[in-house]
Formats: sequence, structure tokens, C-alpha cells
Amino acid sequence: MNPKTLNARHIWLIGLHWGRHAVRGGAGLVYLMIALVFGLSVAHMVIMPVEQLMTAQQREMGTKDPEIIRGTIVAVGQPILRFVLGLRSMEDLTRENDVPERSKAQSTAGGDTARADRWTNFLLEKRPALLSLIFLVLVFGMPFAISFLAFNQVTGDIQSHGLRYLLLRTERGNIYFGRFLGTAAFSTAVMAVLIATITLYLGLRIRLYPAGALAGWALHGFLVLAILMLPYIAVCSILSASVDSPFLSLVLAKLVIGGVLLFSILGGLKWETMKLVRYALPWGWQNHLLHPDPSHWLGAALACVLYTGVFLLLGYARFETRDL
Amino acid sequence: MTHAVSIKGLSKRFGRTQALHEVSFEVPSRSIFGLLGPNGAGKTTLFSLTANFLKASAGTVEVLGIDTRYISRLQGRLSILPQDAEFQRNVPILDQLVFFRRLAGRTKQQAHEEVLHTLDMVGLQAVAKRRVSSLSHGMIKRLGVAQAFLGHPEVILLDEPTSGLDPANARQVRDLVRQLQERATILVSSHNLAEIQDLCDHVAILDHGRLVLAGSVDAITRSRRECHLGLSRALQNGELERLLALPGLRSIEPTSAATGRSGHPLRSVEYLVKLDLSAAGIDQDTVIAALLRTLLDLGITPRKLTEGRSLESQFLEVTGHPPQFTEQT
Repeated sequence: MNPKTLNARHIWLIGLHWGRHAVRGGAGLVYLMIALVFGLSVAHMVIMPVEQLMTAQQREMGTKDPEIIRGTIVAVGQPILRFVLGLRSMEDLTRENDVPERSKAQSTAGGDTARADRWTNFLLEKRPALLSLIFLVLVFGMPFAISFLAFNQVTGDIQSHGLRYLLLRTERGNIYFGRFLGTAAFSTAVMAVLIATITLYLGLRIRLYPAGALAGWALHGFLVLAILMLPYIAVCSILSASVDSPFLSLVLAKLVIGGVLLFSILGGLKWETMKLVRYALPWGWQNHLLHPDPSHWLGAALACVLYTGVFLLLGYARFETRDL
Repeated sequence: MTHAVSIKGLSKRFGRTQALHEVSFEVPSRSIFGLLGPNGAGKTTLFSLTANFLKASAGTVEVLGIDTRYISRLQGRLSILPQDAEFQRNVPILDQLVFFRRLAGRTKQQAHEEVLHTLDMVGLQAVAKRRVSSLSHGMIKRLGVAQAFLGHPEVILLDEPTSGLDPANARQVRDLVRQLQERATILVSSHNLAEIQDLCDHVAILDHGRLVLAGSVDAITRSRRECHLGLSRALQNGELERLLALPGLRSIEPTSAATGRSGHPLRSVEYLVKLDLSAAGIDQDTVIAALLRTLLDLGITPRKLTEGRSLESQFLEVTGHPPQFTEQT
């Protein structure tokens, strides 16, 4: 590998061409549909009960009280967030529900619990809670969806030998990194559309939060999702550069992304150390992108960049030396 | 004579299959070099190694003095029409070719003009805005040829450029290749031996991954000291004896019947004439001139004279396969 052979103009042109034509190729369109359907469904599931609550309040009281609604969202969202963030097990939550007084006593005693409460309070009370809940689900679910866009960065053209028209016109590295860039740009654009749609709906229709707070947190969430997709796209790059069949690349991408999490969860039930498997991908870090402490979310963002770099280099090493 | 392409000890193995085995030859500059061989002989593999699509198991390929392992140094100087590569099906052909030229540093406007000019050369300008998926097989082939001719490459590899084309389009491609010879070295593989003989000045024949013959077409065909003769009528016994009495003639054997299936005499009766140039002071031109004079004296009109053996006969001899069974069209 020789970085001197990389050409920024070529990478840019290839990324632009790839991004522009990703929709025409089919995979981009599929991803766009999946991302929007998934994202908007999540938003619908989170927002719908609130809308029902608001309607009921209007009917019964003749007016809407945002304070009561926000309080209800916090009360309902807190145990869910604690579980999703990995701060409580399902057993803990059940026990807390059964013995609330004892639980309350525990929560004030334990340092971990205090930290947990700080995190959940930040997401539910200091930031627009509805957006926080949506972001948490998207952070969990989008890595599964991204493989529909990223599985075929080069593998289809390896199979059809279409890359051969490019190989005498540019370096392999420019093709590899250009395609990654185009895929990442397309993914980022889809995230922007999704987050903008949800935020506009919350701001114009629900009106529970000040516009400034909503816009700021939406921007943070957009950046979180944009940066989180990078290592997963890079994993797909490795697979795409390693196999000759787009279908096999897609299956492997699903198996790797889902398998690491599943292996970690199921293995962790029997052996504690198996939980560490989740760190093979950003699964172990990614929720920290929504942490109140800047050192946490900056660290998690840095981890995402490092994962991306390592995965990209591994994939590039394979792409550079293989028969095309 | 300088060499545009130099191949030394080139081998390629796919698992257990030895696709190429220590192939070495050189391609002179500004030549049209034909690559022949039965199916699976390794022609496409050789082209792919030359373009660095595949990594060689052993040996080296140099194009314009540059080792193709450092292929980036040849950007813009080497181009290829790959045999089985597909374009992006849902992208307009103009966009694809403009993108290729932009990689060569052209502005959008320059790239646009160059592409339209090249598409015009292959008769595709009218469909420039159509998607590849809407083009016929022949059009896609011509599009492949167009992308190989884009810019000013010094070496062009054309892997079966006329396969799948109708005779008119095939001829158009051959004419383009001839025009390009003034400024480029061209390597062509083809299943059409007559086309290679007509188009190329040098040739290499591969069989089972090994080089079995390489050299100029002229040297290969003339070196056999034979010629094919087409006459206005069949030779009678006395006439045959008179011809064989000429110095330098070894044998004259008919290679076609005197009459067709319907019993009518054919316009031209074919003979294979073998020469014996071992005696001092006899050369091929003198012998052929004497042969033609004698035929005219006998009142026989020579309708055709081809010196040397055809490439087809040569191909059959070195590979052991009749060419019609060696390539899929």
C-alpha cells in the first residue's frame, strides 16, 4: 500500500459518481426506503402515544398542559432508557417495579445508579425526550439497515468485471476509498432527511419543546447517526472487497453485524467475558454518543473513527492485492 | 525496433489450473499484434495480466518500459477493451464516458466534447444519452471499443473487438484499428483467423497456456515456401508435368474439385504449390514469376495467388485443432 498513489480528486470524483448513481443501481433506493420506513415507524411508535395523550387531555381538560405531558414521557421513558443504555437488567427493572420504595433507596445509594440517573435525566429532561428516545432506537437499529446500502460497494463490479473499465484510469485505492466516501455521503444524506422530517414534525405539530433545544439536539443526533454509520459501512467494505457475489456479501454483512451483538448477548449470559465480543464492532460504545459528558461522546466518536480506519485499511489491503 | 510490450516468463495459476506457463514474447511499437489460441488457451488471462487486473504468479509484463505492477504510471497511456466486462447498466453512456475522461483530468466541457467525438467514430453519438441497458449487444461492443479509444492511449488491448458485431460494424472497427496504428500499438485477440491475418502484422499463438508460435505474420506465412493458386480451369496431365519441370517447384496438388456439386465447372480451381528453394540462385519471386508466365502460355488464367500458408493452416499445425472449433463466437 502506497498512500502517495492516492489521488484526492479521483476519490472525490468516484465518490460523487457512486453516490449519484447509487439510487439508480437499486441498492441506494432500497436503503432509502428501508431507512425511511424504519425511522419513521420508530418515530410513529414514540410520538403516537403522546399525541393520544394530548388529544385526551384536550378532550377532558379543554386545554393542553405540556408540563404534564413531559412529566408522563419522563416517567414512562426512564425505565426503558435505563434498560436500553445497559444501566439496569430486566430483573432490576422488575424488582424496582415490585418494590418501589426499596428501589428508591438503592438508587440513591449506589454510585452507578446515580450515574445512570444522570444519563437518563439528561436524555429525558435536559434534552427533548421524544427525540432522545427516537435516537436511541435508531442508534440500535440503523447498523442493521446500513448493510442494504453498503454491501455492494465493489463486489457487484468485481463479479461483472465492470471495475476493469476503471482500473487503467485510476488506482485501486482511489476506487475503494471513493466508493466508501460515496456510500457514506449517501447514508449521511438519508439520515439528514430522516432527522429533519422527524424534527420538523415535532416542532410544528407536537410543540412540546423550544425550537432551539429541538434543533440543537436534532443536529447532535444527526451527527451521531452519521458518524456511527461509518464503521459499519467500513465493515461492509471489507466484505464487499473480499467476495465475488453481492448476495454473499449482503448475507455476510448481516451475519457479522447482527452476529457480533447476538454472540455477545447470548454468550454473556453464560460467560461474562463473552460480553467483550461486542467491542469487535462499535456496539459496546455507540450509546455513549448520546452521553451528557462530552468526554464520553467525544471518546465514542473517536472510537467510531478508529474502527472505521482499521476496517478500511483491512479491506483496502485485500482489494489492493486481489485479482479483479 | 523498440518494443511497446515485453512479456517475460509470465505464469498464472488459478488453484490447480495453470492458465499461463512461462510465456515470453515482445510486441513491436506501432504494430497491430494478433493473439490467437483455442478456447481456454490463456488469451484473456494474458490481457488481464498485462492490464494488472490479475496478479501474475511469476514473470513480468512491461508496457512502454514500465512494469505493469506499477500500473498507475501508465494511466492514460494504456487502454483496454475487456472481453466480458459490463458497464453500469442504469447509467447513461455519456455520463460513464465523461466520468472516465474527468478521471484523466479533463473539465466537464472538454470531456463532453471528446466523448461525443469518440462516440461518433463508432456510430453511437445518436444514443449517447441512453442507458446501457437499452443498447443492443453490438452497440455495447462498440461502446467498449469507444472507451478503449478515448484519449490518446499509446498501447490498446482489444480482447475480441469484433465478436458479436455484424460484418459492417466489424469492418468499421477494423478500419478504426488500422487508423489508430499511426499513433498506437494495438494488441488484438480474435476468433477470426482471416481477420487477424488481414489486420495484424505480428501474431502470437497460445495453446494450453503455452506460447507455441510468435513472429511477424509475413515471416510465419512466407517461411513455409508454399503458395495457394486459383486457376481458371483444372490442369491437365501434360500441363502439370510442364509446370513441375520449372526450377524451384516441388509439387502442385489440387485442394478443391474442378466442378461444383451441380457438375458445373468452378470459377476457380485451387492448388497448393510447394517450392524447393534449396538450389543456388533460386528465390521465391523468380519461381513464382516463371510459374505465372507458364500458366499464361498454357492459356490458363491465374485468378488468385496467395504466397505462403494461410494463418489458418499454421494455426492447425501448431495447435492440432481446427480453428472453427477453437473459439466461441
